[in-house]
Amino acid sequence: MSPANSQPLPLPRICWITSGRETDGSGQQISRLLQELPLNRPAMVLIREKQLNGRQLLALASRIAKETLPNGSRLMLSERMDIALATGLHGVHLPEHSCPADRLRSASPGMLIGKSVHSPESALAAEKEGVDYLFFSPVFASLSKPGYGPLQGTALLREVCRATSVPVFALGGIRPENTIPCIECGAWGVASLGLFTETANFRKTAETIDRLLP
Amino acid sequence: MMFPSRPMLCVITDEELPPVTFARQALWGGATILQLRNKTASGRDLCRWSEAILPLTRQHNALFIVNDRLDIALATGADGVHLGQDDLPATVARKLLGPDRIIGVSTGTREEALQAEKEGADYVGFGHIFPTGSKDKPLPPVGTRALQETASLLSIPLIAIGGIQLENARRVISCGASGIAVISAVSRHPDPRIAAEALVREMAEGMLL
Repeated sequence: MSPANSQPLPLPRICWITSGRETDGSGQQISRLLQELPLNRPAMVLIREKQLNGRQLLALASRIAKETLPNGSRLMLSERMDIALATGLHGVHLPEHSCPADRLRSASPGMLIGKSVHSPESALAAEKEGVDYLFFSPVFASLSKPGYGPLQGTALLREVCRATSVPVFALGGIRPENTIPCIECGAWGVASLGLFTETANFRKTAETIDRLLP
Repeated sequence: MMFPSRPMLCVITDEELPPVTFARQALWGGATILQLRNKTASGRDLCRWSEAILPLTRQHNALFIVNDRLDIALATGADGVHLGQDDLPATVARKLLGPDRIIGVSTGTREEALQAEKEGADYVGFGHIFPTGSKDKPLPPVGTRALQETASLLSIPLIAIGGIQLENARRVISCGASGIAVISAVSRHPDPRIAAEALVREMAEGMLL
């Protein structure tokens, strides 16, 4: 993996989120999926395993950081900026109720910082804190995380993309057939947990989505 | 970072009380280390509380330590971090915090305490010394004998934790602890400030034994 801030590359258009089902720090499940990433296109990969304690998460992140990812890819960790710094990841992705991005930025200037938002108001607040990108969710009905609040739909996605100048990834129920509508609403890209972890043929699905993205 | 003079009173926040008000009372009562510990709070709340408690500790010449969440400690300029055996190792925390800020490590045996010292901890928490209701404990209390032995082997301060109350604070200090860490002995008292003051007095007596 290249150092966090060697050169500014454009953000990938696709973000794959891990399942939250790693039972220890071994990361074998995630490593196997990473092998399946299409090589011709950068991806963002978000390690989101909140059930692990700090020591397990450190072991997992160190192991994943050694994987070879497609050129220009970004490896992100959920919330824990300390562990991302310690393992040389590219950045952190913050839940909506996290430590504000500007505080984390001053403690780790080179990091990529993203944030999950669930309303246009909180998208604007996150932009003021200086985030590099946003997840807006849930856009569509999700199989992997059902019951995550009311669906936002594409109309609200469009409103958020218009309201902010920060790149927005649509998240929640993303499938090949609704990828293009998200981009037409102004989304920079799409993010998915379910496709990464629950698709029988992940590589094929990933290639299909890649072809649909700008 | 200068350690407070000994014996140190480390007061840990109680998840069931508003932490900023509690911290203020504990500091008025003479707490020399204030540790923010909350395993379920959001990052946003932890950050907000840290930023409110840090200036209070400054006013009282006390240290402000964040439990487990080194990210919050770094983001808010806390004086240091307190790590359990399941949290980041002290060696990793040291690289991120630099040489001047404080790292404490929770230990339950002589071996863990010596290991923490070797890994660069500035102090160890050692316990639980007595039976305690504050946290679920699978292991029996370590007792004052193990405390005395471990304190004598370490060259960094040992802060005794677990079941420490007004009645036994003096004895713990006389066994060689550089301080005590408490939650309920202060938080469950009708007036936390008075409880902290009494513990400080008892520890001072223990230094004379």
